[in-house]
Amino acid sequence: MDLLEVKNIRKSFGELEVLKDISLSVAENEVISIIGPSGSGKSTFLRCISMLETVDGGTMSYCGEAAVTEKDGKSVYADKKTLEHIKSYFSLVFQNFNLFPHYSVLKNITDAPIHVRKKDKTEAEKEARALLEKMGLADKADNYPYQLSGGQQQRIAIARALAMEPKMIFFDEPTSALDPELTAEILKVLKELAAEKMTMVIITHEIDFARSVSDRVIFMDGGVIVEQGKPGDVIDNPSNERTKAFLRKIQSAE
Amino acid sequence: MKRWMKILAAAAVAAAVAISSAIGCFASSEDDVFIVGFDAEFPPYGYKDDNGEYVGFDLDLAEEVCQRNGWILKKQPIEWNSKDMELNSGSIDCIWNGFTMNGREDKYTWSTPYVDNSQVVIVRSDSDVTELSQLAGKIVAVQSDSSALAALTSDDATDENKALCASFKELQQVGDYNSAFLNLESGAVDAICMDIGVANYEIESRGGGYTVLDERLSSEQYAIGFRLGNTGLRDKVQTALLEMLADGTFYDIAEKWGLEDSVCLSADDTYIDAGTTAAEKDSFLARMGDISLQLLKGLLTSLSIFFLTLLFSMPLGLLICFGRMSKFAPLRWLIKLYISIMRGTPLMLQLLVVFFGPYYLFGVQLTSDYRFYAVIIGFSLNYAAYFAEIYRSGIQAVPKGQYEASAILGYSKTQTFFRIVFPQMVKNIIPSVTNEVITLVKDTSLAFALSCTEMFTLAKQISAAQTTIMPLFIAGVFYYIFNFIVAFVMERIEKKLNYYA
Repeated sequence: MDLLEVKNIRKSFGELEVLKDISLSVAENEVISIIGPSGSGKSTFLRCISMLETVDGGTMSYCGEAAVTEKDGKSVYADKKTLEHIKSYFSLVFQNFNLFPHYSVLKNITDAPIHVRKKDKTEAEKEARALLEKMGLADKADNYPYQLSGGQQQRIAIARALAMEPKMIFFDEPTSALDPELTAEILKVLKELAAEKMTMVIITHEIDFARSVSDRVIFMDGGVIVEQGKPGDVIDNPSNERTKAFLRKIQSAE
Repeated sequence: MKRWMKILAAAAVAAAVAISSAIGCFASSEDDVFIVGFDAEFPPYGYKDDNGEYVGFDLDLAEEVCQRNGWILKKQPIEWNSKDMELNSGSIDCIWNGFTMNGREDKYTWSTPYVDNSQVVIVRSDSDVTELSQLAGKIVAVQSDSSALAALTSDDATDENKALCASFKELQQVGDYNSAFLNLESGAVDAICMDIGVANYEIESRGGGYTVLDERLSSEQYAIGFRLGNTGLRDKVQTALLEMLADGTFYDIAEKWGLEDSVCLSADDTYIDAGTTAAEKDSFLARMGDISLQLLKGLLTSLSIFFLTLLFSMPLGLLICFGRMSKFAPLRWLIKLYISIMRGTPLMLQLLVVFFGPYYLFGVQLTSDYRFYAVIIGFSLNYAAYFAEIYRSGIQAVPKGQYEASAILGYSKTQTFFRIVFPQMVKNIIPSVTNEVITLVKDTSLAFALSCTEMFTLAKQISAAQTTIMPLFIAGVFYYIFNFIVAFVMERIEKKLNYYA
């Protein structure tokens, strides 16, 4: 069964049509990278499937449960309770982390499990410490986000997402706000997650990373999926002219 | 270039206006101008008539005296509690305003008395009070630092009057007679003690509905009060008055104001000059201690206003803030209108509306307890509007990403607000809140508008009674200490919230 099934979604901001008829299925354990120039709609797409934005048309279902159905060409969202439940299937990691500045590192990770999932506090903290250990940040539990580097903050954000035990995680350019040397530590974490069979959809500009970690690469431009397939095909042997142009551009910049 | 010249021209005009008005100020202190200080709410002696002119018996007398001396009369309305400061600083030449000399003999240089007046008690005509003894357990209003107050409470008051005063439930001091009658009409007080001349005038001009009790509190005399020792000016005024008495002008003016039965000016009277070394009763320190002790009682009221206002306005502000940010447009507009009225009109006016509104709008009889409640309600409503806007700015300063992260983690809207947004808002708004709280400390003095005796009102009353500015200085020191503590506490809170950057 596919963890995520998106069909024909459309999204406009006023007159501007940002997403034009996009469909995507994500299988369990699959790692998908989305590449494309800025303004291509990839970020909006990720925000739509994370339900931070609402779609205008099309359907979406998660783990076989319908979140958005279509009626008379317009999207209809399920009731609040269903959506609440469906939202527990996924998490999103932001480009600029969005940690809670007034909470310690540990509380950033445990607060939602305790107050949203009603988990026992001791257990939540035990799990959080294990996650911090995994992220190599065991000694930072009592620090506040402002005391950490960008790379460390992003690892905390990933730990915070993992603590909610989602079935899949979306990443919105997780390394764009970081210096190159900090980027590496995040990519390493993502590779470890991929090795552990976490289902992930990642928007990235790191072509080498996309090639090595992804099961599938999607190239988006102008609000549509232009090309998709195995990294060896899309990155190393693209068939579409726009893909070729994009790849040439960013590879010459590197 | 042209704009440059325009600015220069404007500056020149402004400077010219400033200089000419400054010259005007100095001119007024020249010898040929006679400045009469009076309470503009004391008809028929001195008040503002329907045309907005200052008129009255005393002002007519003063006008005539000026003509005979070749002076220009300047009518200077004064705040009654500040009359001594006005006189001593030279900003007025005399107090001429149905000014009772009895009990104040030592404090001023007096003309001879020209009106004989009595202190009486007024009740509403539907009241069951017909004699003084029935005032026991009632609330009685009296103007601050008035002869009626002196007749009831001063050291020179008769024992009967002191006993009478002790039998009242409360002796409520009010700032002016208009507010005394508002209080009487609305039921917030049961009776008013005041001068008979003023009483008759007020009752007539209000179209009746009030009764003057037959029993009187005291009899007293009006004279013109000059700065202690200023006998030269006093003699000139007195001479002119006696001339007017001799040629009949004095009685003509008295008749014009219906006071012919009350006047008592006589060429046979002599001055009661008490010398200039009066009122050196206690040592400076003892008086200061005494004043501070009295002010501390007022400080207690100020503190209650302060803490109760914060207690109610801060949560109320949050509700108003929610309304202001509501997605429901009519509610949003309503709250916007509310905030704009609360911020756009004087707090003093709002206090008056809250206190007198229930009676004049809905006919609800007021009780004296309501006076303090009205102060708290008025302050809370006003400060809540300011706090609401501060909260809103604090909430809007929380980045959008915080809401998105909360949504992704599954927090409900309520959880998002109280767990994520609110704590960050509090940190954002501390500097603005500190400002607001410090303003509130000083604003508590506005409670005088409802005759609520907080510290500043008390300071003014003591200052007037003891003819010294010291109580105001001491009150200033208390306010400063109060605010110093507030600033210190707020700084501690700010530091405590600084655990994250």
